[in-house]
Amino acid sequence: MIVKDAVCPFCGCLCDDIEVEVEGDRVVAVTNACELGTTKFMGEKRLKNPIQRVGDEWKDITYDEAIRYAADMLLSAERPLLYGWSGTHGEAQCVGVHMAELIHGVIDNTSSVCHGPSILAIQEVGHPGCTLGVVKNRADLVIYWGSNPIDAHPRHLSRYTRYAEGFFLDNAFRDRKVIVVDVRKTETANIADEFVQVRPGGDYAILSALRAIVQGKTETIPRTVAGVTREQLIRVANLCKSAKFGAVYFGLGLTMTPGKYKNIRNAIELVSELNRHTKFTISAMRGHYNVYGSNEVNTWMTGYPFGIDFSRGIAFYNPGETTAVDILARKECDAALIVGSDPAAHFPRRCLEHLAEIPIVQLDPYPNATTAFCNVQIPVAVTGIDAEGTAYRMDGVPIRTRRVLWSDYLSDEEVLSRMYALMQEAQQP
Amino acid sequence: MKVTLAMKPAAKGFIPIEAESIVPKNFLSGTDLLVWRGNRELRLDEVFSVSVEGEADRAEGVEVVLSGETFRLKRVGEYMDGGKITVLGDIGMHCGNFMTAGTIEIHGNADGWLGREMAGGAIVCRGDVADYCASGYRGGRKGMKGGTVEVFGRAGDFLAENLADGTVIVHGDAGDMPGAEMRGGTLIVHGDCSRPAANMKGGSCYVYGTAREMIPTFKKIGPVQHDGRTLIQFAGDLANRGKGNLFVKNYEYLD
Repeated sequence: MIVKDAVCPFCGCLCDDIEVEVEGDRVVAVTNACELGTTKFMGEKRLKNPIQRVGDEWKDITYDEAIRYAADMLLSAERPLLYGWSGTHGEAQCVGVHMAELIHGVIDNTSSVCHGPSILAIQEVGHPGCTLGVVKNRADLVIYWGSNPIDAHPRHLSRYTRYAEGFFLDNAFRDRKVIVVDVRKTETANIADEFVQVRPGGDYAILSALRAIVQGKTETIPRTVAGVTREQLIRVANLCKSAKFGAVYFGLGLTMTPGKYKNIRNAIELVSELNRHTKFTISAMRGHYNVYGSNEVNTWMTGYPFGIDFSRGIAFYNPGETTAVDILARKECDAALIVGSDPAAHFPRRCLEHLAEIPIVQLDPYPNATTAFCNVQIPVAVTGIDAEGTAYRMDGVPIRTRRVLWSDYLSDEEVLSRMYALMQEAQQP
Repeated sequence: MKVTLAMKPAAKGFIPIEAESIVPKNFLSGTDLLVWRGNRELRLDEVFSVSVEGEADRAEGVEVVLSGETFRLKRVGEYMDGGKITVLGDIGMHCGNFMTAGTIEIHGNADGWLGREMAGGAIVCRGDVADYCASGYRGGRKGMKGGTVEVFGRAGDFLAENLADGTVIVHGDAGDMPGAEMRGGTLIVHGDCSRPAANMKGGSCYVYGTAREMIPTFKKIGPVQHDGRTLIQFAGDLANRGKGNLFVKNYEYLD
């Protein structure tokens, strides 16, 4: 069987033109997807049933037992942490937020270690953004800043920028200029018209300098700024001002380097400044296929996009205090539920030391680095493969992922709903 | 009146305790107060050994002394409007949030957001302070609006972010981006720091040591005398059409 127009559940591009060939309960071929998406569709060895750690060994348990264990663990905790959420669909994220409120826990998603700073900056100065389709059809200048789409979002270039046709561009490949700003010459830099190599940690200074140059205050800028000559900065500023429609796409090279959200704020303010001369937009290169969705779901349900602390019964938000890395590094939580992410592979060592000390339940189809820290792991269906649900693309467009094959695994939403029902039962007087 | 709160040894490790009820004014009507440990509400005497000496009829006559492992105690002195709080050890986050009057003295170190959005009164920290000392809340346009914060140790990153008014003095070094987005008030760093007064709009920022990674969009005015020191005056941040003043002893660009 061939499933057409499947949605790829890998990166924030959420490509919706994938063809998947299925034989029985197995994907045998994938067309149109990049290497990353193909690998995800083809799958790997999944966990067969829930497992529980007993002493030094793993014991197979039933879904009922595993769900009961998780509910009891979270109900008895004084400061439970519910982390992850980017690798699952919106419907499951909704249940997660309800659960956090019911048990007075902290719910955080992976954006606190990726584009959380972008959101902090947007909260300070707003977001002059647009959808990917607008960029594809109109942009004659694209800037990739601290992001490397050839490796991380391979089809971003072919579907929306460098290699895409544009409705309002006669010859998109010739007319569209690409500028890459990075600390090293990446694969994407090789296909750029202009490459700006910044000294590590120098993005903020470059952005400030560009803002001043766009305002015509060139004389105060030193001869070089963070490894970039004043001449090149003036050339880049002129390229931006003379573009008809410019789009900036930034990645973790900007959000996770010194200054963090201040870098993004400066980039947004540069874009605002450029909008006095031409049309310019800026957007984040979101990583997980539904990390944007977890911000959306959290925001419409609680008012805040990530790092929400319900311990007092009301939502409190303060990244740096209520975010997973900070809570774990300070040893502030006493139980954790991990859904659709792998903190043990990404968090600092100090956080892992605390993860090793507290009870953890993980919902994930595959054994991963976090499995080593778990008391119980519950395998679930993979959204976009054997489960379906809503995901948000990196530009905020919701796209419903499709099921391409049927399996006996429960989806994240089903497992979490059953867990939530047990908690509601226990909380009733 | 002197209220002594000695923290009892904790059964459950490091779970933070939110104690915004620890404000001098509240002790005028007794010690029957509540605090939160994680998602559990506890009586003050479940967490502290409480003792009271003397009497008072106004907040100004109350001194609260905190001892023990107070480093995980958050929001002490929130909305404080008079009296004194003395912390003998370290204090947790958000100490002195929104305070308008009175004095907080910390003998140890203070965690993040010390004196967040304070409007008046004085905070003295004898040790180091973590990030966001004397700053604002996320997304807010104004940070500290009045009063004084004096730190004798070092300060972390984003010291006095969005400073709108009041005075912040750090005797040691400060971290990255002190005085970011400041729009008024005075910030003085006796030691070194990096990227001071980024995107400033107004106010005055003094660095008596070396300003590393200077923001390139400050216009050099020239040397000035200040408090017996020769400092170099800059105006900026030009990128923000700012009209602030930055004074530094030495500076270096990331070139």
